[in-house]
Amino acid sequence: NLASSFALNRNLSSSISEGSGGGAEKATEELLSLPEVEKILNDVGADGVKVIQAPKRCEFTDYIVVATGRSPWHVRNISQALIYKIKQKQKGAKRMLLPTVVGQEGGKWIVIDSGKLIVHAVDEKARAYYNFEGLWSENNTNTDHHYQELGKAFVKIRPTRNNTKRR
Amino acid sequence: MIQVQTYLNVADNTGAQKLMCIRILGSNKKNANIGEIIVEAIPNMSIKKSEVVKAVIVRSTKGLRRESGMAVRFDENAAVIINNDRSPKGTRVFGPVARELRDKNFAKIVSLAPEL
Repeated sequence: NLASSFALNRNLSSSISEGSGGGAEKATEELLSLPEVEKILNDVGADGVKVIQAPKRCEFTDYIVVATGRSPWHVRNISQALIYKIKQKQKGAKRMLLPTVVGQEGGKWIVIDSGKLIVHAVDEKARAYYNFEGLWSENNTNTDHHYQELGKAFVKIRPTRNNTKRR
Repeated sequence: MIQVQTYLNVADNTGAQKLMCIRILGSNKKNANIGEIIVEAIPNMSIKKSEVVKAVIVRSTKGLRRESGMAVRFDENAAVIINNDRSPKGTRVFGPVARELRDKNFAKIVSLAPEL
């Protein structure tokens, strides 16, 4: 019994014939809750942590967290800290449910995908290159706004550091 | 079902416009579907023309079948150019992508995609 609802033709001449919704999520409860993630990112010293509520087009997740690392090692450390916390939480369980980590080898952009919560750990260059804020802001339709970016292109913003070892 | 000599559209903003598959990586198969990495040639503009790059198929006219019985088909074959650690070379992805990419460790492309 397929509940088929045909989508309208998109402007890129692709038409999808699909039923309602996509694949179900792997686990109904979260591996890590949002305040816990924020606390870990703060402890690790990640800069520029931003929590974005997933826009409507991203139905596969609820929250997107973007965090910046200062170096490839730091970015890998962020992802390992989150995984460590998840493992600790699930200690003693019969089976551990671990998130998917994409990009662990190169420390430029690591995605930790745990169903409802996706954490992107990037380094500063990658963050500027991919421009995540522009991508997931509410009124964006995934088109490039060249005029706006040019205005900001020559402004140097000093990033704020979340560094515990202050000189 | 993308095989050697298949022309694909490009679904990102790298500047390339057409890609031709010259090999399917990772296995000795003849056909590739969504989520497989292939090696491409003949792009345009910002990537140099006739450069060999890796790309992952995100849309195919053959489509997929999910375990629930639902079938997904697209009107074109499209790919996203990636580099060796599976992150896309461009900054944006255009058009819908199949949801199965997430399970095949392409969460980066899925998170850049406008719709699923």
